[in-house]
Amino acid sequence: MKRLKQFTKWMKGQLHLYIIGMLLLFFLQYFRTLTPLFVQHIVDTVFAGRPSALPQFVADWLMADTVQRQLLLVAIFSVGFALFRLTFVFVERVIFAVFTERTAYNMRNTLYDRLQNLSFTYHSQADTGDLIQRTTTDVDTYRRFIGEQLIDVLRLLFLMVFAVYQMTRMNPRMTMISLAMAPIIFISALVYFTYVRKIFQRVEEAEGEMTTAVQENVTGNRVVKAFANEQFEMEKFDETSTKFRDESMRLTRVMAFFWGGTDLLIFAQYALTASFGIYFAVNGTLDTGQFIAFLSLLGLIVWPLRQLGRIVGDFGKTTVALDRIDEIMAERSEHDDDSDFKPEIKGQITFDNVGFQFVDDNKPLLKNVSFEVEAGETLAVIGKTGSGKSTLMNLMVRLLDNQQGRIMFDGHDIRTINKKHLRKNVGIVLQEPFLYSKSVYDNIGIIKRDVPKERIIDAANIARVHDDIEDFEAGYDTLVGERGVTLSGGQKQRLAIARMLLDPKPVLIFDDSLSAVDTETDIQIRRALYKHWQNTTVFIITHRITTAMEADKIIVLDRGEIIAQGTHDTLLEEDGLYAELYHQQTKIAQEFEAKKGGGDDAAF
Amino acid sequence: MQHFEEETFAKKEFDTKTWKRIFSFMKPLRRYAVIVVLCGVFLAVADLAYPLINRYGIDYIIENEDLTMLPWFIGVYVLFMLFMGLLVYTFIYFAEKVQNHLAYTIRQKAFKKLQELPFSYYDRTPAGWIMARMTSDSRQLSDMISWGLIDITWGGLMMIGLAVVMLILHWQLALIVLSVLPVLVYLSLYFRKKILKAYRSIRKQNSKITGAFNEGIGGAKTTKTLVLEDSNYQDFDMLTSKMKKHSIRAAMFAGLYFPTILFIAAIATALVFYFGGLDVRDQVIQVGLLYVFVSYVAQFFDPIMQLANTIAHFQQAQASAERVVSLIDADPDIKDTPEVIERYGTILNPKKENWEPLHGDVKFENISFKYKKGEQVLDDFNLHVKAGESVALVGHTGAGKSTIVNLICRFYEPTEGKILIDGKDYKERSMSWLHGNLGYVLQSPQLFSGTIRENIRYGKLDASEEEIVEAAKLVGAHEFISSFEKGYDTEVQEGGSRLSVGQKQLISFARALIKDPAILILDEATSSVDTATEQKIQKAIEVIMRGRTSFVIAHRLSTIVNADKILVLEHGKIIEAGSHEELLHNRAHYYQLYTNQFKETALIN
Repeated sequence: MKRLKQFTKWMKGQLHLYIIGMLLLFFLQYFRTLTPLFVQHIVDTVFAGRPSALPQFVADWLMADTVQRQLLLVAIFSVGFALFRLTFVFVERVIFAVFTERTAYNMRNTLYDRLQNLSFTYHSQADTGDLIQRTTTDVDTYRRFIGEQLIDVLRLLFLMVFAVYQMTRMNPRMTMISLAMAPIIFISALVYFTYVRKIFQRVEEAEGEMTTAVQENVTGNRVVKAFANEQFEMEKFDETSTKFRDESMRLTRVMAFFWGGTDLLIFAQYALTASFGIYFAVNGTLDTGQFIAFLSLLGLIVWPLRQLGRIVGDFGKTTVALDRIDEIMAERSEHDDDSDFKPEIKGQITFDNVGFQFVDDNKPLLKNVSFEVEAGETLAVIGKTGSGKSTLMNLMVRLLDNQQGRIMFDGHDIRTINKKHLRKNVGIVLQEPFLYSKSVYDNIGIIKRDVPKERIIDAANIARVHDDIEDFEAGYDTLVGERGVTLSGGQKQRLAIARMLLDPKPVLIFDDSLSAVDTETDIQIRRALYKHWQNTTVFIITHRITTAMEADKIIVLDRGEIIAQGTHDTLLEEDGLYAELYHQQTKIAQEFEAKKGGGDDAAF
Repeated sequence: MQHFEEETFAKKEFDTKTWKRIFSFMKPLRRYAVIVVLCGVFLAVADLAYPLINRYGIDYIIENEDLTMLPWFIGVYVLFMLFMGLLVYTFIYFAEKVQNHLAYTIRQKAFKKLQELPFSYYDRTPAGWIMARMTSDSRQLSDMISWGLIDITWGGLMMIGLAVVMLILHWQLALIVLSVLPVLVYLSLYFRKKILKAYRSIRKQNSKITGAFNEGIGGAKTTKTLVLEDSNYQDFDMLTSKMKKHSIRAAMFAGLYFPTILFIAAIATALVFYFGGLDVRDQVIQVGLLYVFVSYVAQFFDPIMQLANTIAHFQQAQASAERVVSLIDADPDIKDTPEVIERYGTILNPKKENWEPLHGDVKFENISFKYKKGEQVLDDFNLHVKAGESVALVGHTGAGKSTIVNLICRFYEPTEGKILIDGKDYKERSMSWLHGNLGYVLQSPQLFSGTIRENIRYGKLDASEEEIVEAAKLVGAHEFISSFEKGYDTEVQEGGSRLSVGQKQLISFARALIKDPAILILDEATSSVDTATEQKIQKAIEVIMRGRTSFVIAHRLSTIVNADKILVLEHGKIIEAGSHEELLHNRAHYYQLYTNQFKETALIN
């Protein structure tokens, strides 16, 4: 029951289509079993005056006074009947196609929507490849099952029911004989397809190994060449390629045996039916036309039996796929019980004893963090990798929610503010910004899609990325992102800044977002930005002292705690980590001065 | 994702040259191919014979009411049954054999070519493209050919056989039935083309959807922070709606095709009913023959649909064939001259006994260089590095550092000028000779799957256990390797996170060191590692550079400062050269770079 619900829940809204399709499918199989009966009618009724196997009213309608007229009627009727039947075959196929594609569409959209709304924590732990597999291959497995396999199974079942019905109407004893091999064929198919899956897996593994060998050779070709190991690589590849070939051949032997064996069984069934049929026909218990009809009806059911075995064997795959999809659907959306509170945000921010720790972690990432920023101020957060800088930022836009303390925007605890509203008011430029597979133009204007082109170029100029863009082959129309041109880290960062410039926000966070830009450009950009954002509260997360120096306030983070805060001057006086970082820089400068001095001495 | 040139299709109708080339790979498989073709023949004969056996039963046993022949009839049936079982086994076995061996041959040839192709080929060909040729294309192509072989012989013979047998049995009735044939062939080809095209557009759409999912997942953080969920969803909906539309359209085409063919069959059958029926009435033929004709009409449509299918697929496979041939027949633009090969051997078959020792004196003489379509990178470049000297190459991205390294490695050859190694143009000796004496350490350590031991041994394939441990000790890798549970048997790729970047770098140092090369190329990493590892790496760099001619694309202050010679490059020219002290003293370009760039790098750690 649970399975049935799991199975049908994606069909919501189109279940009626499926039911209509099924009914159509059912009746069509009945019509299909009528087709072989025309020959029987001609041979037995027209020529021998024996009873017809066709339905009575059809047989009556086909009666006429001369043989020629009767033949003409059968010919005309059979064409008309085919037209009628095949039209509905077409209708049936279209109904199932519409149903299946709508269901798949529904499924894909639901999954995409769900994935977008899953929490940041979920995404940061998820395995991208696995998720893609679930949203594409698993969806397709289900789609194929409801759209092809299940229908094939039912079609065959219905067909068998009616074929047996027609056979029994003609001759029950012959029916038993004609179905003698069916269970054996079906079961051997079932056994084979279950067994072969294991071998198939081995073939796939062997192919995987071979692919890896090629992949490594291609991506590592510099190393291969520089080490002159081409011969060795050939041997390595040959080994995997041969293994793949030989595993495939093992599969082939089993496969050939199965298909050959079942063909033998099928013809054994034919031999049985034909021998007994002829014997009965000579005995007079079976008409000649009936004998021919038996051979045809047998052909309708005996061949697809092997496919049936495969589909039944594959049924398990679909339930696994659905389980995997349901796992995604069972995750909570981060907007599920979000508040509707949307206050105006001016930019005054207070951290009051804030702490954060992942549930499955034993060490807090932040603890007892307290500070205040007035609207319009610039705050720099400096610290080493792993000091908690990024966590701080993630808390401010509620990618994560703090468990300890409070973060207040203009006096409101941000956990009471609507998440999307908050994010619309707090801009972040990430260290590794993501670019979408669109043009540069569309990427910069992604928040404001209707913005005029001049403003986009303006923004690119301020972010010092305009010249880079102009250097691309297609300029602003160049496709970037995964399917487009690969940009350098610095170019991405500058594009992300341009993107942010188009949509002024009361609070802006730079998460180490100029780390890949050289110092000179970094300073230029920052100067331009300060001019632009005088009333904006700016957070700068950095490990560059030169960047931090200019802020109104500096916070030094170490292992999740604020170990110092103040201005550049006060922090230098304190002689803590900040001073240490600062001196590291000056030490290099001194060393360099010393070397230079040495050089000078040598010169004179 | 490999989207590169996914949709490149053949422009010409039928490219004989390409197919000839592909079929030339079949030569060693000729025997099996003949068996496959023969199986196709037998299969067609069996399919033709089957209704005739039943007809015999109907016309001679039933109609004559003569049971004495029944045992013979059963005997023939049993023989037929055994024959079919064996035939099906044989043709599947040999068709697959041809398929697997052909795919193997294609892969083998392509891979061998890949080893011979120069570095520049990889520079301009995406890895995904090569991978697709090696995996899906070679498989599809051989699949197409081996099964196409059987389908074409079977289908072709069936059609001819059916026509001939029908004409022999009853030529008037045969002509009536065959009259529907042209319509049938035309419709089959028409529909097949349409259906294939429709499916192609579905595949394209499908890969876009996969891309969108990929983007949705990979860009989740950015999407959230920019609050782009709704607009992304709208974009996605456009893709899936289109997918739905295309899929339904394709299904309609496919749904129309089959019934249409069956309807034509129904017309042909009706013709047999009427005209055949009249002949039975007039006792020109017996009932059994009527049965044969009805069966044949039904059988006629299989080979036609099959042939239409095969032809359509062949057209599609032509694109694969062209791409595979283009790889296998690619001409390496950097190769040794016949004289050099004569003396030093080929890449895959070197004559090591003729190799002279390499001392490491490298001289660039009036070198100019430009990439195929691009601007001049080096212009009249001169440089002399004596054996054992170390050179640090410094400059902005695109200044020509990598080009110099590529030229030394002979990954590219100079457009003008000569590179002399130990006083002799390096083109006068084989590539393997040079590479056999070269050590190469890459910016991002490129390790191969396998154990740590195997990876170190990669530098010297016949290295002993002691040599491997010795090399690891020298670069300071032995310590962390031994700390692993499996030591040198640890798989490097295991779980991905097993080895840190720094550790991978040390292993790649050991790999270079064990080779004991005369010339060392080092492309330093810009990525930052923790301080302890950084110190280890610096030490390792000192160790492996000692006593070798070294070229370093340098980012580390320590490496640069310790180099015998520093070259500051800009736009392919040496704008400054000298030792660290000399250059600082100049207070020019190096000084600029030094103060701006290296200071920052040092601060990060």
